[in-house]
Amino acid sequence: MLRSIANRILGMLVVMALVLTIVFIIVRLTPGDPAAIMLGPDATAADVAELRHRLGLDAPVPQQFLTYIIGVLHGDLGQSIFLNQPVGQALLQRAEPTFFLTVFSLVIAVVIALPVGVLSAYYRDTAFDQAMTTIAMFAASIPSFWLGLVLMQIFAVQLGWFDTSGYGGPGASFAERMQHLVLPAVALGLISSALITRFTRASMLDVLNDDYVRTARSKGMDEWRVVVRHALKNALIPILTVIGLTAALLISGAIVTETVFGLPGVGSLIVSAVLRRDYPVIQGALLVVAGLYVLVNFIIDMAYLAIDPRVRY
Amino acid sequence: MTAVAETTMAREPNIVLRLARRPTALIGMIVLVLMILLSVLAPYISPYDPAKLMVRARLTAPGAEHFFGTDDLGRDVLTRVLYSGRTSLLVGVAVVIFSSVIGVILGLMAGFERKLDPPVSRLIDAMMAFPDILLAIALVAVLGPSAINVVIALGIVYAPRLARVVRASTLVIRELPYVEAARALAVPTPVILVRHVLRNVTSPLLVQATFIFANAILAEAGLSFLGVGISPDIPTWGTMISVGRQYLEQAPWIMWFPGGAIIITVLSLQLVGDGLRDFLDPRLAKDI
Amino acid sequence: MKRMHLVLATAIALLSANGLALAQEKGGVIDVATVGEPPTLDPMASTADLVGIITQNIFETLYTFDANWNTTPLLAAALPDISSDGMTYTIPLRQGIKFHDGETMTSADVVASLERWEKVATRGKQTAEVISGIEAKDDNTVVITLKKPYAPLLPLLSLNNAAAIIIPAKNAGQDPLTDFIGTGPYKLEERVADQYIRLTRFDDYQSLPGEPNGYGGARKQYLDEIRFVPVPDPNTRVEGAVAGQFAYADSLPVESYSKIEGGKDKPVVLKPFGWPVFVMNTKEGLNSNLKIRQAIQAALAPNDMLLAAFGSEDFFAANADYYPEGYIWHTDAGTEPYKPDGDTEAAKKLLADAGYDGSPLRILTSRQYEFHYKMAQVAQAYLEAAGFKVEMIVVDWATLTQQRTDPAKWDIYITHSPFLPEPSLTGIMNDSSPGWWVSDAKHKALDAFNAESDPQKRAKLFEDVQKVIYAEVPAIKIGDFNALAAQAPNLEGVTPAPWPYFWNAYLTK
Repeated sequence: MLRSIANRILGMLVVMALVLTIVFIIVRLTPGDPAAIMLGPDATAADVAELRHRLGLDAPVPQQFLTYIIGVLHGDLGQSIFLNQPVGQALLQRAEPTFFLTVFSLVIAVVIALPVGVLSAYYRDTAFDQAMTTIAMFAASIPSFWLGLVLMQIFAVQLGWFDTSGYGGPGASFAERMQHLVLPAVALGLISSALITRFTRASMLDVLNDDYVRTARSKGMDEWRVVVRHALKNALIPILTVIGLTAALLISGAIVTETVFGLPGVGSLIVSAVLRRDYPVIQGALLVVAGLYVLVNFIIDMAYLAIDPRVRY
Repeated sequence: MTAVAETTMAREPNIVLRLARRPTALIGMIVLVLMILLSVLAPYISPYDPAKLMVRARLTAPGAEHFFGTDDLGRDVLTRVLYSGRTSLLVGVAVVIFSSVIGVILGLMAGFERKLDPPVSRLIDAMMAFPDILLAIALVAVLGPSAINVVIALGIVYAPRLARVVRASTLVIRELPYVEAARALAVPTPVILVRHVLRNVTSPLLVQATFIFANAILAEAGLSFLGVGISPDIPTWGTMISVGRQYLEQAPWIMWFPGGAIIITVLSLQLVGDGLRDFLDPRLAKDI
Repeated sequence: MKRMHLVLATAIALLSANGLALAQEKGGVIDVATVGEPPTLDPMASTADLVGIITQNIFETLYTFDANWNTTPLLAAALPDISSDGMTYTIPLRQGIKFHDGETMTSADVVASLERWEKVATRGKQTAEVISGIEAKDDNTVVITLKKPYAPLLPLLSLNNAAAIIIPAKNAGQDPLTDFIGTGPYKLEERVADQYIRLTRFDDYQSLPGEPNGYGGARKQYLDEIRFVPVPDPNTRVEGAVAGQFAYADSLPVESYSKIEGGKDKPVVLKPFGWPVFVMNTKEGLNSNLKIRQAIQAALAPNDMLLAAFGSEDFFAANADYYPEGYIWHTDAGTEPYKPDGDTEAAKKLLADAGYDGSPLRILTSRQYEFHYKMAQVAQAYLEAAGFKVEMIVVDWATLTQQRTDPAKWDIYITHSPFLPEPSLTGIMNDSSPGWWVSDAKHKALDAFNAESDPQKRAKLFEDVQKVIYAEVPAIKIGDFNALAAQAPNLEGVTPAPWPYFWNAYLTK
């Protein structure tokens, strides 16, 4: 058991190291001189050289890499070019809307997907199942930003049930802010639910066919207990995996949805950083998001280990 | 129909009957081919020139002269939807090809050579740690907005997913008797890979490819919508939706038609992919 | 100098409808939606309207404009005493003016600020060429001596962008400015980039006595706090106005007029507001060739460009004159090259004459002002029809203000300007503002225009200026347009203006 845990931790660290390296490479691919970009065209060559030195850009690449790693380990993600604040701080300030958006979307997705997936598996190949499968496929074909716009049009503009965009003014209450997340969460959640539904169904199908389920049935166990007690519990493991994967998808979705709904979250920060070529922010965001993803998957891996004794690594 | 009967129904071995159980796949195929045809023939069937501005006729509702209406600069929406289709579909195909090449190479490496498996798998894991749009945006930010860079960015994003599938298949095939025999006979590895492994990997690869195609179209639309995709000059469905957004109330058709086009294309791709998966070999196919 | 009557009428209407019936109460916080995050909070360092709108609350200039767009004293105690040869300006200062940090303003601060203005601000740099000295005669008097008479000096000291603001002498050495201490009615409380800029009432503000008069006169400071919220996406800004999220939403796409009418905030139209302009890079690149610029002028079709940008003819006019009717500067002299629907054949010929080599014409624009982008798209079609190859560079506004300072990066950039009270304040009149238009003909016409002090004679001299502009094409004016903003029904005391100001605004119940 302990060896499995140790293996996994090692694996995670290696992946993180690779992530750091990949981000470093991506940002170094930038054409042009970051110092020149930061200072603008009015700057003299001397100013640019001085900034390069201060940023450590004139050091050999391996040394730059080392500095970068050490910086990250200390939590220093660099300084934003446009925001005049440390990248870490900028990300933290904008984390709230993204966090809650992701959570709400996930909740909506799971609440829809689990029952539908289970029932679809149970009533496999009936009209219900086929309808659900088709609907799920349809939902997965919809671009999330488009769905967001449609929802905005109907519920916010026409019906006026919600505010159309933004996150409430600087003095808004928590409840007001959450109200702004409803439509975007529904848009994201509906589409994500498609993926989770398919997967839940597939998982359940696998499990429902398993021997021990058949045994339980042949022993005359009540149908309901069979489904819930045995099947669902065991199908839950791969479902958890998909939920973890979906969290990653949601972050992608959040990037676009935040732009549609004008939410000041990490996603729209990334978009404006890209439009403004604010490379430190892009780099920091990549690191944080990928890092979170690796962490989440690690936790799910641990959960696997705890729940399913058959898993060994 | 009792649950017992359900679960014990055997998988139908007959191909034709299997296909018939999935008429949706057939529909998907037809629709997809139709979309491709329309895009390819766009220059011939479009009623107008996609760049032609008829500013006086801006924001006209769908009607006899303009079946899909006109946009904010008076350009014919139907024409632009067709032309956008060319761009979006081309990008999708290019992404599939690019990611397949990288994915196959990585997957074969990891699956076939025991020693290469851990490092390459870790690399794949690391690349999959980045959400697709985020990575694509970052790469486009760094490389600059152009069709080629978008293809490269999305190709890099989707390659790991393909690599995983290829690796999984390769792992299985590696253990097959005739492959072991070939290795024992000191047949050079590349030959084994091409002649035996690759041939068997094609099925799951094809299935994955259709899904990647679908995802690439959605991703490219998202990038264009955000304004970080292909340059704004070239019409794509995402760009059209972005414009349609401003005119949601006055001219919703600008948004509806490109959105509809995306949905139809992606949906048909998914149906085809599902059908392929069932058709080719249910045993090897995995849902992830 | 006459100002358009409509603004005055609207102002009077607004004030009289509400002012006397209800007592203005002190208090309240308002959210003002702006087009985006300002590139800086130092008004000397930028000519962006956005910067001026925000910073005019924090910093003040010696003079400002009243409701008739005449200069009126603000930090100065009175209009300057100008010597008979027009070369010496003696400016008395008000006393007891406090800075936000508690210090009292003296002539030393004024001199240091003006010297910084000469170094840092584009308008200051230009004006520095005619200034021979700035001195403090005593603690409360400043004397500016010029090399030659220069009529625009007072308006320059009154304008709120590239502004000659007065800051403490001890901060005048900062470049970039890091301490935002001014004398204005509101002080900088907090700035969170991309989220908000909070200004709170400065309690030790010394208001001029009496009543407000345009930007001049008394500043009542009813509101406790003004929050500027950057909302770069125009849809979100419009929708926020419709939902009543903002007390004031600036710079809304004019096509959303009917949408706003049906919403919580009410539409406010400033008519006419200003003019969109394509500025040519005369220093480097394709547009350093006059024939190319002339070809562009012939190729463009203002009617279609304005229609695409503003949607309805209620909101624009394809007017070639640099000032519309109602302004003393109105004239149609020299405007023959302006073709409302473009002249593609003429453009093709001019292009051939110019020896065009096919290299791409780079248009720098931004989507933060969506009408810029729309005009650029239409322009592209017409330019390509004339045989140009066009490359569009679309960036956000802050990046654009940076990039436009580099002559290697663009051939045309798109911006707009309100109708400025003093023509020589317009960007192209300044030799060093992006575009870098310099020529003997320009200087001849402009110098004569600026040296003349009689307004009637100046108006006649402006005709020569306009003729040179149309002959040398440093920029192409597209037309006139009206601006749309939205205001909450419970917000009063806001006069429609090119740079809306809120120090006299108050909330009603």
